[in-house]
Amino acid sequence: MHLINGPVHISKISEIIAKASDNKESGAHSLFLGQVRRDHIEGKYVSAIEYSAYEEMVIMEANKINKSILSEFSNVKSIEILHSKGLVKTGEISLLVMISAGHRQDAINACSKAVELIKEKLPIWKKEIFEDNSEQWQEND
Amino acid sequence: MTGELVKTGLKHINRLNLNMEINVLFFGVLAEVTGTSGKYYRGIKSFGDLRHRIEDDFPEIVHYNFRIAVNNEIINDEPLLSPDDEIAYLPPFAGG
Repeated sequence: MHLINGPVHISKISEIIAKASDNKESGAHSLFLGQVRRDHIEGKYVSAIEYSAYEEMVIMEANKINKSILSEFSNVKSIEILHSKGLVKTGEISLLVMISAGHRQDAINACSKAVELIKEKLPIWKKEIFEDNSEQWQEND
Repeated sequence: MTGELVKTGLKHINRLNLNMEINVLFFGVLAEVTGTSGKYYRGIKSFGDLRHRIEDDFPEIVHYNFRIAVNNEIINDEPLLSPDDEIAYLPPFAGG
């Protein structure tokens, strides 16, 4: 798990795919990308999200997520999680989860589970910034 | 004899738990509401004592939802604090 400043760039995504491909035991990679959406709220459009995090706890909780995924899905070979901190504009990527496994079903299910756990367990906060520069704190459902 | 034992016991408790220095962190909306990302408290006697002092300093936080972590672990019950513990006030998470 890494917290990175600003968005997850395409070059970083390629790098992660290339690295995962080095493991020849994997038969499937499931890649999830979370993107900042141009939400329309009360007549205003979101232009960016500012993320903040309790970094030490994020790393500890992410380690727990890794352990839980590895124990539930024995076929998983590797887990990569990147999350942004700081400002990410609409259309940019703020979360990457990539899970490699022996077979597709484990890769897909483990990736889906990891994304849910990330949203539930990681102490990360986001403030939506609107086009008129007003701001609003958001929380996950 | 009993008196001495009690006295020794109290001294022991005093050394372990009274007058602790505790670092308190605020995140998300709570950092904005309190106007700070954290505050160092001295002379803390217990978790209850700490909470009262925080609420005296930042009375507005009681209007917000939050959970509390002690040394990166979310707590459900009132914990026994140790010197140099780190307490964090965590609003509902919003990662992803």
